[in-house]
Order: sequence, then C-alpha cells, then structure tokens
Amino acid sequence: MGNKQTIFTAQQLDAYQVSDHVYSILFYRYRDLAPQLVPLDYTNNPDVKLPYELIGSMPELKDNPFRQRIAEVFSEDGEGNMTLNDFLDMFSVLSEMAPRDLKAYYAFKIYDFNNDDFICKSDLEKTLNKLTRNELTEEEVRMVCEKVLDEADLDNDGRLSLDDFQHMILRAPEFLSTFHIRI
Amino acid sequence: DEDSDDGTTRDLRAIPLPMALKRAVNFGGGVQSYFLFLRFLVVLNFFSFLLIAGFVIIPSIVFRSVGFIEYTYLFYGYYNNTMVEGMNFSYNIPLAYLSTAAFYLLFCLVCIIAMGTTARVVVATGDSSEGNYSMLVFTGWDFGSNGNQATKLKQQNIYYRLQVDLEEEMIKKKSSALTQRQKVCLYSARVVLFTLTLGFIGAALTGIFFATNFSQGLLYEYLPSIVITGANFIVPLLNDQIAPFEQYSPSVTVVLALLAVVLRLVSLVILLYTLWRQITCDETPDECALCCWETRVGQEMYKLTLFDLIVNIAVLMLVEFPRRMIVDNWHNKLTQWVGRQEFVVPYNVLGLVYGQTVVWTGAFFCPLLPLINTFKFIILFYTKRITLFSNCRPAVKTFRSTTSSFFFSGILLLGLTLASVVMIYSVAIHPSMACGPFRFLTSMWDVVPKSISKLSQTTREFLFFLGSQSFSIPLFVLSLILCYIVALATVYKKSVTLLKTQLKLDKQFLVRQIGRL
Repeated sequence: MGNKQTIFTAQQLDAYQVSDHVYSILFYRYRDLAPQLVPLDYTNNPDVKLPYELIGSMPELKDNPFRQRIAEVFSEDGEGNMTLNDFLDMFSVLSEMAPRDLKAYYAFKIYDFNNDDFICKSDLEKTLNKLTRNELTEEEVRMVCEKVLDEADLDNDGRLSLDDFQHMILRAPEFLSTFHIRI
Repeated sequence: DEDSDDGTTRDLRAIPLPMALKRAVNFGGGVQSYFLFLRFLVVLNFFSFLLIAGFVIIPSIVFRSVGFIEYTYLFYGYYNNTMVEGMNFSYNIPLAYLSTAAFYLLFCLVCIIAMGTTARVVVATGDSSEGNYSMLVFTGWDFGSNGNQATKLKQQNIYYRLQVDLEEEMIKKKSSALTQRQKVCLYSARVVLFTLTLGFIGAALTGIFFATNFSQGLLYEYLPSIVITGANFIVPLLNDQIAPFEQYSPSVTVVLALLAVVLRLVSLVILLYTLWRQITCDETPDECALCCWETRVGQEMYKLTLFDLIVNIAVLMLVEFPRRMIVDNWHNKLTQWVGRQEFVVPYNVLGLVYGQTVVWTGAFFCPLLPLINTFKFIILFYTKRITLFSNCRPAVKTFRSTTSSFFFSGILLLGLTLASVVMIYSVAIHPSMACGPFRFLTSMWDVVPKSISKLSQTTREFLFFLGSQSFSIPLFVLSLILCYIVALATVYKKSVTLLKTQLKLDKQFLVRQIGRL
C-alpha cells in the first residue's frame, strides 16, 4: 500500500461484512474514478457522489448492457450517482460471497425497469432487447415474453412478482456464477 | 441447456490440453462437446498405443531375430511368428499379438461406456426443457464478461439460442396449419429428394467399389482413399443444400444429416468388402497377387487415415480461409448469401468417428496406427480450433449438447462393432503364408489352443471350465446386467437429490403464498 494511509472506523467496516482487504481494494477503485473528488480520509463520512458517467466507464461495467440499471438500482438517488456506500453495496452483492437470496432480490430490481416491483411484459421486452442487441423481431420478442410468463408466472397475474422470480431463480444452477462480477 | 457442458468438463478425466474451451461455447454449446470428444479420443488413442507398445512392439524390438530388418514395425508383416527366447523366459509373440488386439478393443469398449454413462441422461433427471426460456433470459447473461467482443459474441449466442427454440415452435405451428394440398406437395417433395439422396450415395459407393478394384498398379494406389474422402466431402454438402427444401424442423434435419453421413461408415464397409473379395478369390494363390493380405489391409487403413488428415487441412487452407477473406472484404449480395463458414458439429463429429473406426479396423494389421492417430487428432484439434476462431460464425442451428455425449458414445460404439466384426473375421480365416506372426497356422485363433496345450493339466482344466458355456455365458450376461443396474442407480441417485431439493423449494414457496392469503 506504500504511503497511502486510509482511515476507516471499525463501524464502517462492520456494516459491510467484507474483509478489510476487499474493502480497501474497492475503496481504491472508487477513488481511482475521480481522485480529486474522493478524499482519503473517510472517518467523517463525507458526502461524495460520483456521477453515473464515471461509474459506467469502469472496465467491468462499460460493456454490460445492464450497467445503467445496475447503477440505478444500487444508487441512493435512483439515478446512478453513487456514494461509496452504494459502490460497496453493488460490488459486494455482485461478488461470489453474496447469498443467493440477496442476489435474486437485486437481480429482480435490475430487470424491473419501471420500478413497480413487478416484472411486467414491457420490462421483459426491454430485457430481451438488451440481451440480444435488438436483433429479435417484434413477433419473436412477443413469443419469448409469452413463454417466459408461461413458465415463471405462478400466480397468473400476467407479470412476475419477486416470489415468482425467486422461485424460478432457485431452480437455476448457474445463476450464482453468472450474476457475478470479479473485481 | 448449456450447463450440461460444465458437467461434462468435470466428469471427463482427461489430460488437459491447453485450450480455452469456454470461448468455444459462444459458437453454440455443441462445439464445446466436439472439442471435449476430440480430447477424449486423443487420450484413448494414446493409451491404446501404450498398451500395444508394451505387449507387442517393445518385445518384438527387444527379441528381434535377424533377417527382417528390411521391413518396418508399421505393418503386420513384420512381426515374428515364433516364441522368442531371451534371458530366462520366453515370450510368445503370436499369442501376445492376438490377445493385445482383443484387449485393445475391450479397453476401448470400456472407455466409451464410461464416457457415455457419465454424461447427463436427460430422461432420468426429469424434463429439463421446462423453464428453458426464463432461465435463458434471466440467467443467460454473464455479468462478469468483459470486453466489447465478448459481449457481442454472448449477445449473438443468446440470440441464436432463442432463435432455435422459436424456430421449432413456429414450424410446429405452421405444419399444423397446412392445407391438404400443401401437405401432399410437401410429402411428394420429400420422397423425390430422398430418392435423389439415395441416388447420390449409390453413385458414390459404386465409384468406391470400382476404384478399389482398379487400384492394382502403383499409380492407382491412392485411388480408393481419394474417392472415399471425396465422396465424404461432397455428399454432405449436397445434402445440406437439399435439406432446406424438405422443410423439416431443425432437430429432424440434423438427425437426417447425421443419418446421411453414416455414409462414411458404409463407404468403409464397401472398401473392406472389395478387399475381402480380392482376398478370398478362388483362383490359385499366384493369380490372387495378394501374398500378404494383412499388410495390404493395414496399408489401406493407414492411407485412409493420412488422407483424411490431408484433406481436412487442405479444406481448411484452400476453402475456409479464402472464403472468409472473400466474404469479409467483398460486400455484395452473393457473399452475403454464402456467408462465413459455419462450424457444423454433427459432420465434424462423424468425421472423428469415421477416423477412429478406420484406426480400430486397421490397428490389428498396423500396430502403430493408434500412435499415428494420436498425432493426427492432436493436429486436427489445433487446426479445427484455428478455423473455429478465425473463420467461423456461430451455428444458426445449435446442436443440443445435453444429449451429445451420450450420442457420441453411441456412434462410436457402432464404429467399434464394425471394427470388431472385421477383426473376428480375420481371426477366423486363413492367414497368409508369407508374413506375419500367424504364418504356418490354419487360422489365427489356433495359437490359443496351442499355447493352452503347453500349460499344466490343472490350469488347462480350470481354463476349460471358465471357457465352457455353462460358466461364461451366465457370467457375461450377469456382468452386463450388473453394469446396467449400476449405471441406472447412479443416474437415479442424482435425480433423487435434485428432486428433493426442488421439493423443498416448492414447499417454501407454497408456505409463503399461503402466508400472503
């Protein structure tokens, strides 16, 4: 670490339950995005927010079609401008240590584009278009959405609730490895 | 669907060749299984070679008797026909040769069955096609993938996977909506095209037949190999063009393509048949002109193997690279329609099975063939990998990888059966008198009774008892049943654990739903 001394309170560390090592790595990544804005001394919880443009330019996120939703979901203001806490939350949920339920909860929020606590048809359409780079025709998109709702919508209300989503995710063995960003 | 590839990666115990197999998934899941299968074959051939080297080649080298230096170890004709004495023990080369060949085939059989049963069996673990779409949509995206290129590939991959499923759905809908007249047209088109395909196959096979008969002179020695490899290359291409007109659903088309490419194995049969005719001619030995037929058969198999490799590399350099250059640099309607090469898994797999069958058939007559094949497959591995990443685009019709390992083992077994039939036949007929470890015997099998008669009385009686019908047949049947039950039990155990977990989750879900009411 050289002469870079960072000061965190024990309380701040406890809140995240990540190891010191990971915490400092994440802090330095956050600071590297805008060294002039982020102070080294965080004991007084300074109110620093990095704009979405900086977050979205990180190499781990810049090619991800869902980066905007990810930033919006984890940011306090819902617009993608992240404080250090938001940043830490984001990467700890996306790390391999996070429990499946927690990941499923946030994945649900990411795919819920209109923030109405349900994944409805329009949310599904947007997800599909992001997944396939808009290559599917409208007919195909419609068919896939119907199939997805057929398979996952257990209470038959035409949209996926968090329970439906979690139930479906629990059957997917590869969810833990795909919903994962290594930093 | 694609997570079965991870299972196969963990289950196959193979020496890891340095290769980023993960990248191959972006071209369709079947591609990864192809490379895993190829790796399995490389290992199989290498260990077979070790087996043969240990029991046949090295003793022959060690106990070499003078006078045969002008022949090579490559072919059967070389090997000693006697017991060789050295130090304090004697080594019966003919017996070793025969039993090694038998063990070699058994060893391959065991390996194939092992590979087949470690593959996931779709049926026993329940309907895995349930939840296909939602799984793909919500867990298909790998959040950890970096880089523009990887992202684009992944998006294309998801797009193609969705397309495959959607295409099947749409075809099902369409076919149930056909009018009577359209159905009649479709069926007659299918009949016509099927007869055409048969016609092509028949023409190719007759060509092979004549070429083999014609290949007496030195100039025409390579003719059978050329015709076979040529036919193997052209007929599938033609079939590929015809198939879209037949309007089957993609899965059926793939299966049909596979059946049509079984031609490869049949062409081998034709070659063997013509050779057989030459061997068992009724004229006097002088006119038959085959005084060492075993070496001739070994030579044919060796030539086929080499030619297969040469053609593969030639196609790569003369067809696939130029095709990519042209398609990438000229943008007009023709090149758009032709497009980049597609890495079609079924044809490539059948090519491998064909090559392996040739080696199995020829190994008895050409003991170094497994070693040659190991090198050939290693070369093929790297050349195919190069062509995959440089020249190919992701397959539009993805080959369902869930059943692929099972399926590959199945056709491999078919090839092994063909080779076993050839070997059993060769053991039964009269070996040639001028060469090989079995000259001066009426049949190759004779070496076994002769060796047994040299053993002590008690050992002989014990062996006779083991070989008698009342013991060996029940034993064989019992062991088959046992193997089957063990395989079934493993699969059922896996499905029971899976179902138990699912049951637990379903209970939790229902409890939550009840709580909400």
